[in-house]
Amino acid sequence: MIEVKGLSKRYGELMAVRNVSFEVQRGEVVGFLGPNGAGKTTTMRMITGFVPPSSGTVRVAGHDLESEPNAARRAIGYLPELPPLYPEMRVADYVAYVAALKDVPRAERPAKVEKVLHSCGLESVARNVIGRLSKGFRQRVGLAQAIVHEPEVLVLDEPTAGLDPVQVAEIRNLIRDLADEEGRTVILSTHILPEVEAICRRVLLISYGEIRVDGPLEEVRGAGTLEDVFLREAGPVPGTPAAALEETNA
Amino acid sequence: MRHVGAIAARELRSIFATPVAYVLLAVFLVFAGYIFLLGLGFFLQQIEQIQAYQMFQMLEQFNLNHAVIAPAFGTFAVLFILAVPLLTMRAFSEERSNGTIELLMTSPITTWEIVLGKYLAVLATIGLFVLCSALYPALLFFYGDPEVLQTLAGLIGLFGLGAALAALGCFVSSLTSSQIVAGLVGIVGGLVLWLFDLMADAAQAEALAEPIRYLGIRPHFEGSLQGLVRSEDLVYFTLSVVFFLSLARASLESLRWR
Repeated sequence: MIEVKGLSKRYGELMAVRNVSFEVQRGEVVGFLGPNGAGKTTTMRMITGFVPPSSGTVRVAGHDLESEPNAARRAIGYLPELPPLYPEMRVADYVAYVAALKDVPRAERPAKVEKVLHSCGLESVARNVIGRLSKGFRQRVGLAQAIVHEPEVLVLDEPTAGLDPVQVAEIRNLIRDLADEEGRTVILSTHILPEVEAICRRVLLISYGEIRVDGPLEEVRGAGTLEDVFLREAGPVPGTPAAALEETNA
Repeated sequence: MRHVGAIAARELRSIFATPVAYVLLAVFLVFAGYIFLLGLGFFLQQIEQIQAYQMFQMLEQFNLNHAVIAPAFGTFAVLFILAVPLLTMRAFSEERSNGTIELLMTSPITTWEIVLGKYLAVLATIGLFVLCSALYPALLFFYGDPEVLQTLAGLIGLFGLGAALAALGCFVSSLTSSQIVAGLVGIVGGLVLWLFDLMADAAQAEALAEPIRYLGIRPHFEGSLQGLVRSEDLVYFTLSVVFFLSLARASLESLRWR
């Protein structure tokens, strides 16, 4: 479903992402881990086509992002770190607008909007103005806009950040349903490790722009905990300039 | 191009969902009305004087279009320079600060569709401003006998000016995520465009002065006040819209590279 090959992103001197390759199969839920600034968001932005890679290729649902950008974009649902909401709009109008942007045929829009409002638990606030909603509801609206066009691939950037435990549980259930019942492929970034253990079957760990760990959750965890793995792998690779810098700072 | 309608419709609803557009329209109408009234008062005073001194031959060159409507439209144009950037400042700046630009740019739509959708919504709002500007001269038709076509030409000029300023404002708004910066720079940009032809006087060579005069927006607008709808002016307005919207598109595209 997602095929990433040799993906790199350079911002001036800084290599934000270097030579990242991985594949995600249909129905997989992948936890994308890494410390802040490791390149998670940049990688996700390259997968969704917001940021063009400096080198490397991305294929989503069989469509190359460079040669068939629109087909690839239609296959992706994307929830950025900051949900892209218009505070002055009403929830149902907003979701319908996103459906129009994502090429959902006009005749199918009302049904799809209604369906997604139901699955995200937004029916009670459908006529409310987004700006007056609580953070939990806003996050759900963000998720609703990501899935309204029923994309095969979901890219979620920290979908549960800043929510209370009940809301976190709701969002997690929703994501799990999307993968298990509807067969959607999900890649979600987070630094909440229990979240990965709760919903992901596979772990990708990125640090200093490089993939450090890639494997099924059970295998990666091995005998220890995910936290051990994270602490061991998230540091700079010994012998690299980044490691030398860390040492001088310490 | 099928997304343009959806983007424009959403934008138009957003423009009128916040008080900004209403406040701008109200302030514009108050100032415009006051200026119009002053002009009219001055006109009536002069008529009285002409009658008092029996200089009836002067009445020949003295008419409502010349003495009231044209000067009023000239001042409306200056109000446009102040009001249009305040209307366009949110166009892209707000999308950038909301993060909604990320939604637009990861949707299967082209950057042209985004720019055109936004611009058409602003253009419709400017059409509303021009219609409201027409209210004042319309009143004169009840009491006097102004030239219809000359008045219409002036309104076309105002719309052309507004369209060009709106394209400039959209471009400026695409450069920053701060609405205040976009508004202020837009006003300054509009003033520069308005006063540009003054530089022609400073130019030594006539070969230089002529293009400078052409680039300024004021000469193109002022023709309309005399009742002239010249194709060169319409071409100028159209070209400036295309120019600034192309810049806006390029500036949005460049966001991907930052």
